Amino acid sequence: MPSAIKKLLRPSTLLVNFSLLLIVLICLLPFIWSVSSSLKGREELFQTLPSLLPKDPILGNYQWILTRRDMSMIPLNMLNSFKVTLWAVVIQTVLATMAGYAFARLEFKGRDLMFYSLILLIFIPRAGGLMAVYELMDYLNLRNSHLGLALLFSSAMSVAVFIMKQNFLGIPRELEESAIIEGANTWQVFLNVAVPLAKGGMVVVALFEFLYVWGEYLMTLTLIDFPELLTLSVAVSKISGWATLFTSSAYSTYGAEAAAHVVAMTPVILIFIIMQKWFIRGLTDGILKM
Amino acid sequence: MASFPETERATIQPTQRSALFEFIHQVRTLRSQKWGNLWGYVFVAPTLILYAIFQAWPIVRGFYMAFSDYRWIIPETHGWASFNGLANFREMTQDETFWRSLGIAARYTFFYVPATLVLALFVAVMISKVKRPALAGFYRVVSYLPVILPVSVAMVVWKNIYHNEFGYLNYFLKSVIGIEKPPNWLGSSQWAMVAVLIATVWMSFGHQALLFLIGIYSINVEQYEAAAIDGAGGWAQFWYITLPGLKPIFVIVLVLSAGVLGTTVEMMVLFNSGGGPAESVLTTGLYIFRTAFEVGDMRMGYAAAMSLVLGVLGMLISGLIFKLLRTEKA
Repeated sequence: MPSAIKKLLRPSTLLVNFSLLLIVLICLLPFIWSVSSSLKGREELFQTLPSLLPKDPILGNYQWILTRRDMSMIPLNMLNSFKVTLWAVVIQTVLATMAGYAFARLEFKGRDLMFYSLILLIFIPRAGGLMAVYELMDYLNLRNSHLGLALLFSSAMSVAVFIMKQNFLGIPRELEESAIIEGANTWQVFLNVAVPLAKGGMVVVALFEFLYVWGEYLMTLTLIDFPELLTLSVAVSKISGWATLFTSSAYSTYGAEAAAHVVAMTPVILIFIIMQKWFIRGLTDGILKM
Repeated sequence: MASFPETERATIQPTQRSALFEFIHQVRTLRSQKWGNLWGYVFVAPTLILYAIFQAWPIVRGFYMAFSDYRWIIPETHGWASFNGLANFREMTQDETFWRSLGIAARYTFFYVPATLVLALFVAVMISKVKRPALAGFYRVVSYLPVILPVSVAMVVWKNIYHNEFGYLNYFLKSVIGIEKPPNWLGSSQWAMVAVLIATVWMSFGHQALLFLIGIYSINVEQYEAAAIDGAGGWAQFWYITLPGLKPIFVIVLVLSAGVLGTTVEMMVLFNSGGGPAESVLTTGLYIFRTAFEVGDMRMGYAAAMSLVLGVLGMLISGLIFKLLRTEKA
């Protein structure tokens, strides 16, 4: 036997490959099942036993959730999700970059006191936080408001500020110093010299914020009362209710639901696969170092 | 052994205690610090203002709420007027639903934490044995995919998989394995908790596996080589090198897992915001949400009190784990 095959058939290698194959299957099956259900018509879903591959794939379920506005709000919900996520990501990334720079480079009274307050507050349990936020948002007239959601979701700033501070500390100081000698003020040094070198950290912060806001559920459910204002992650849990009005025609609620799930999961999967290197960097720089 | 090209060997140390120490030190020396570059305040002001309004304030207000009879529907109880001392906590001791929900949350945590930990450790060790970088990368990405899904999406997908008539799971159990009467996963109080556990472990083991993997990659390869020369087999290497080397990761994972006690959303989505068949998965988190937002007068004060108890309990548990694992020499 060639040595390569021999190596492959060693019991330890077999165990590794077999168990990892099983894990891959377990991880992917729900995804495959969602995609396959979303491509099945009413006939196939209800008459035959479930199969993993649709015999006669159709796009009708997608057509339904993406067009019929009177029953399915999914197009609106998708737009809402993008709106809230974009605003939250922009606000958090910009503010965390500024604060991270100040905590890393500028010297002023109470700097480290403020920084450690931000860090310590992570560990205090948010007792009644949900109720207090509800009251606060009502008081500020930010219930049922996407701006409210974006401000709320971007305000959980501790980890982002920590990552940005570490990031600026890792950049050599000399460039900034020579810019100061040439007469640039603090803002100019920050914007023209430091920020271009800190893009890596900003990408990490934006990525984690994107994943968090896109999937946020409980706060959105609590603060938004109207279906047309919901974000996609909350809307997918409601769609079975909306779709029951629809069961009489050629596509089933089950297929429409599955199509909505696929639509809701696609952006995060794409972003994650494209940005996975940044993601691991974020984990090692952020959570594991705190 | 492969390693992440994009990371240096990470020194992993939980630093809660030193952050507290630093904080106290900073308070003490504040007077002697110079005003320095005032641009600093301009840079941190937006962050601190946003943080103060949306993060710090709710902590303070929520704490006060726990000691008041605050009911959203009844305007007279709003504001600071409805202070009622320890009445909420006294009521809690008599509240059977609260105790039952705490038991359910504890049971869920009791099964969830070890299951996730063992599976994650197993997957991490297996992936670390894969020699080809591209293949190892593939396994890393695939095992992490469930983690990045929105919780609600992951749970509705499982809801469809569990569906008694059209779900894939029971089709698989009936037609492929040959079980005559597969369980009605979401419809029976016996199986509801198991169903939640399968779905949530599926969704989260990848995160811990990646943390363990980062830990394994940061263990010095020479240690394994030296052990192999001394004749240590796979098990011995795992037991004497890998496990001790992963201790910092264990601390992080276990400290974070105290938060599992508050699990809410998973059950909410799987069971259409109810407590499941015969309330068998009504965790304290769900009961709090129900009390504050769904039933009666919207008793936010009582809900805040319950959530304070849950939060303090979680903090005590993670503090205890932290202390135990940190002082004991491995």
